[in-house]
Formats: sequence, C-alpha cells, structure tokens
Amino acid sequence: MKRLLATLQTGRLTKRLDDLLALPASSPGIPLLRPERLSDEVRAALVALCPSGAFAEDGGEFRLDLAACVACGRCLRRHPDAIGEWRTLDVAVTRRDDLVQRVDLARGTLIEPSDPPPSRPELRLPTLGCRAVSAGNGGLDDSEIALAGNPYHDMSRFGFTLVASPRHADALLVTGPVSENMLPPLERTYHAMAAPKAVVAVGNEAIAGELFAGSPCVRGGVDRVLDVDVYVPGSPARPASILFGLLLLVGRVRQTLVGGQPRSQRPAPPRP
Amino acid sequence: MEALKRALRSGRPVALWHDPPQLRYLVEGPSGMEEFRIPADRTFTCLAREFPALAWFERQLAEVAALQRIGCADPKPLRDHGTPFPFATYDGLHEVPVGPVHAGVIEPGHFRFSVLGERIVNLEIRLGYQHRGVRAAFLGSSLERGRLLAERVGSEPVAHALCYARAVELIAGVEVPPYADRFRLVLLELERIFQHLGHLAGLFTDIGYAFAATQTGRVRAMVQAEIERLSGHRYARNAIVLGGVAARVDEDAARAARAKLSELAYDTSTYIAPVLRHPMVLDRLRYVGVVSEGQAHRLGLVGPTARASGIGRDLRSDEPSYRPFVPVTRVGGDVLSRAHVYLLEAQASFGLLDRFLRELPDGPTAVPVVAPDGEAWARIESARGELLYVVKAREQRVQAIEIVSPSFKNWPALEVAVRGGGLPDFPICNKSFDLSYADSDL
Repeated sequence: MKRLLATLQTGRLTKRLDDLLALPASSPGIPLLRPERLSDEVRAALVALCPSGAFAEDGGEFRLDLAACVACGRCLRRHPDAIGEWRTLDVAVTRRDDLVQRVDLARGTLIEPSDPPPSRPELRLPTLGCRAVSAGNGGLDDSEIALAGNPYHDMSRFGFTLVASPRHADALLVTGPVSENMLPPLERTYHAMAAPKAVVAVGNEAIAGELFAGSPCVRGGVDRVLDVDVYVPGSPARPASILFGLLLLVGRVRQTLVGGQPRSQRPAPPRP
Repeated sequence: MEALKRALRSGRPVALWHDPPQLRYLVEGPSGMEEFRIPADRTFTCLAREFPALAWFERQLAEVAALQRIGCADPKPLRDHGTPFPFATYDGLHEVPVGPVHAGVIEPGHFRFSVLGERIVNLEIRLGYQHRGVRAAFLGSSLERGRLLAERVGSEPVAHALCYARAVELIAGVEVPPYADRFRLVLLELERIFQHLGHLAGLFTDIGYAFAATQTGRVRAMVQAEIERLSGHRYARNAIVLGGVAARVDEDAARAARAKLSELAYDTSTYIAPVLRHPMVLDRLRYVGVVSEGQAHRLGLVGPTARASGIGRDLRSDEPSYRPFVPVTRVGGDVLSRAHVYLLEAQASFGLLDRFLRELPDGPTAVPVVAPDGEAWARIESARGELLYVVKAREQRVQAIEIVSPSFKNWPALEVAVRGGGLPDFPICNKSFDLSYADSDL
C-alpha cells in the first residue's frame, strides 16, 4: 500500500521532447564560428586555447570539428565575440561533414555544403529495435544510451526499444573508437542483424576517436569499418541527442546542423 | 625479495609495474605504504602462487613489459588477443560462453562457465576488448591533455581526473586553494552517490523489482542534474583542472544544491532503503555470490567489495577533510552485503555533501601548475575503491604513467564468488561487484 502511494505521489516524470532538447543553463552549448570576427589573432588564440584540438587551420580554411569538442566552454567564455553558442541538443546528423564548420578565409564566409541526404526510406520504421555495442568506450556513452530509456527521456514512447539480440535489432548503436579487440565481435554483431539495418555512431569517440584518434589499438571511428547512418556528437552524447538521432534515422525530424551550423542561424545566401 | 614477501604476508599489494631496469612494488601494510624495487631485466619471478593478489599484475607485466615469467602458475594473456586464450576445460562438464557482446547495455567481456547442470563449477574471465592503448596515449602528451585522457579512462571521470591532478600537483609541489580542495570532494561524493545508486538500480532491475529500479533511477537522475548544475557537465568532466577547479559555485547555487540534495537524501531513505528490508529481496540477494574475508585478503580486494567482506579500509579515513570518518563495513560478503554498503555509503555521502557545501571556503579557484621533472603517485577512494596514478613528468609532458584501477584488483573476486552458485545468479553477482571493463583494459 505504501509503495502504491509512493508511486502515485511520484507523478509523471516524462518530459516533452522540446524540454529535453533544451540544454540546462549551467552547461556550455555548441560553439559556432562567426566568420566575420575571426581575425588572425583570434584564430591563433582559439587553436592554442582548445584542449582537445577542435580548431584547425590549413590551406586557407579555418575549421571547427564538433566531433572533437569536449564541451569545456573555454572558447565561449574567452571569445564571446568570435564564437556564438547553440543551446539545443538537436545535433545529430546523417553526414560526417555536417559536424565540421569550415570558414573560407579568403572570402571570410562559411563554406556552404550541399543539402544533407535524407535518411534511407527503408529505415522509416514505426518501431526501432536498438542493439548497443560498446567498442572501446570508457562507459559514459553507454551510460547515456541506457539513460535514454529512463522515465525522464522514455525512448520507448517513440517506439525505440533496447533489444537483447542483434537478431531483433534494426539499429546498431556503437560507442567508443572501435578497439582492435572489439572489431571482430562488432562486425559479427552487425552481420547477425537482418536487413534493413542501420548504424548509429554515438558520441565523439565513435565518430572520430576523439582523444584516442591516434592510438594504434583503435580504428578511430565507426565509419572506418561500417557504413554509418547517423552521427550523434557529444562527449559523451547526451540522451536527448541520442533520441534526436534516432528520430532523424526514422525520418521523423529534420536535420538541424548543416555544415556544422544550424540552418536557422545561417545568413541567407547572397543574391547574384 | 625476502623483505617484499614479508610485507606481502601482512599487507596488500597496491601496485606492481615495470620501471626499467627494475620492478616496483607498492605494498600497504599495517604501518603504511612501503615501496620495493627489484631488479628485472629480461625475466622476473612470479609470486602469485603464494600471493594470489599479484596474479593479474604479473599477467599484465608479461604483456606490457615483455618480461619472461619464472615459476608462473597461470600463464594466461590479459589483454592480448593475438594469442588464443587457454580456457580451462573439464571432462564431462558443459561449457557456457557468454559475451563479449551482452544482452544489456554494458561493456564487453567474455565469460566462460563450466557448469554441472545449473551449478557453476568454474568461471574464467577474458578481458581486453576495451583496450584502447591508454598508457601509450598519455606518453608525450601535455599535462593538461593528460587530464582529459584521465577523464576518459573509465566511467568515473571525477575520481580519475582528481587522482591524476593530485599526482601532478605533488610533482609541482603546489597546494590547491582551500575552495578547490573542498569543491573537488563535493564532486567526488556526488559521483559516488551517482555510481552507487546506479548499481542498486541495476540490481533491482535484474531481480525484476520494477518499482525499486524506477525509484532508484529517478533519484539517480536528479543527482545527475545536481552534478550538472554544479559542474556544467553531466559527469563533471572539465570541472577539475590542474591546480584547482574550473569555476566557482556561488553561494546561492550551493544553497540550492544543498536543499535539493537533502530532499534526495530523504527520498533515498524513504523509497530505496526499505527495499533492502523486503523479504523477497532478502531471499534473492542473501547468501548469493559470497566472498569471505579470507578470500578478500588473499585476492587483495578493495573498495565496497572488500568492505562488504569485513575489511574496513577506506582511503577517505586518511584525508583530513573527511574527519571524523567511519568506513561502512559489512561481514556477509554476499550480494546483499554489497548492496548494503552501496546504500549506506550513498546515504553517508549525502551527509558529507551537506557539510562540504555549507563550508565552501572563499578564495581563488586554481593556482598555476608548473611541474619540474619528477615523479609522484596519488591515491583516491573512488566509488569502486582504491584508484592509483603514478605520473612521471618531463618538460611539462607525461613521460611515464601507471594507472591501477579498483576494478583491476577486484575482477578476480567475481571468479571466486560465482563458483558453486547457480548460473542464473551470475547477473546479480556481476552487478553487485560493479566492475569497470574499460579502466582495467586501459
């Protein structure tokens, strides 16, 4: 009886998707390059400031790779003029290039990529069985996948479930930089799945290895070994971002980031 | 060598690593830490037959340092997947392979059970799937980048970053400001609560008690929200920097956090604690997966696992900030005892947090750290137990590093605990030890 009362008193915990996608005030958002403010000094300062080497400059191009960002917020605090901030967690993309912001230094503008490809039509499933495989992840990206199923995020309301066997799975969620020792089990898991099947790279390590990118014991990214359908950046990827990535996979939301910047923030293309 | 053996007989090995041209043993005895240096060029003498707590260290040495073992009782690989693993087989017994990919969302590892009916006669654990070359990644990296790497070694970023930072600060000879020292402990205790409630929630899920799992998960999610509010990250990454902490929490935020945490402490006592008194739960968890005190001593276990088997060692007793501190101890050594230790430690941490947050000192958040060439080690009582970092710095870069995680020391306990038990008890045994694969695979 007491348990029943406690359950009733707890009330409904599940939050709306929009609320989940809003970043809590204390956490830094995603840095956005403002091309017109990137003077030579600022660019050099940014490259020196970033502890994980997310900024790079070569061949007349200045780049910010969101898959290398560890969300420490230093660039946001130190250079608020040159770096904008995106505070929504709708950051999953279907194309690796859409996580990289490129500035053409000669023209002082962002390089505009083509429109992102839509997710594969055969994956527009009403429900999605997800199989998680950790391939060299420290444990936090795995933890965030599990937390996407907690009462607050409740992934099952969208039809997403975590399944025990790859035979039951439509999507393979991979975390970690793909350690050499985990490569054969990962490939066997993938081949055990029935088509149509999708691969989701969850977290920066799965996208490009992050701090382990150069290690000889890892492959440095899931797309080096399997075709990846959706990339969910984050260090680790947050549960709300993972939810958004799965919704993107089944074609129920539109991708926000194009060329590393949200569509709505982009200036209108100059008229000829 | 004789002095080393004497120390091991009355103490517990904390670390063993190769620092050419010698082997270095850290042993904690009744009178404190002792270090022994044994010359080792191409070979070393195995002591694991007499001191089983050294078994995994010696398997590691054979791989990492490429030293030949003399008198080895258990010449199995540890992380190397290039050679086949010699699983023990028994005539007439059935073998059940489990993993590396498991049914739940957990890290990969392979378990090979030899069973008679449903009774486990023997379990062998093969790890190494999560091996990312952590040691090599540290070498030559800047001290600051080393902190980022430490946060990625396992699933306890605060403990790892703090342990690494303390080692580097010892080399530099700097003392962190009082505010930073205190706030680091706030983060460490929050991480402990988050981890401990995670194991309890997993345990309740595995015994099919949805109410308890949901309530525990709810409190845990709100603890995580407090971690994020105080640190700016869901797991408090980037919050600890060399020489201090990244930012200051103002008085209002500290007061708000205290209020919220006291609510959560109440919820823990009201909704989670009674679960461990429920007759059905007791029936399921009691006398399962027993590790006796003698076994815990012989295997050199640490952390909540050791404390649930009657060994009252908690490194927090050594830290002045925690005083007065009494470690939580249970004597049963079974899954229920470990669950009790998790619950009681989480509850005690709520109390510590209230004190720490009330007494946040003023002053700067960090001091600059310039490390001369040198070496130092630091130990932290992480949620899983004793964590050790030995850092050698040269020209502001990491020249050598040794990481000994609590899971590395506790994995052999699982093999012992399930022996003689039922195969279906394995998931709750495994969950009750709460072992990290990544930070022992490195």
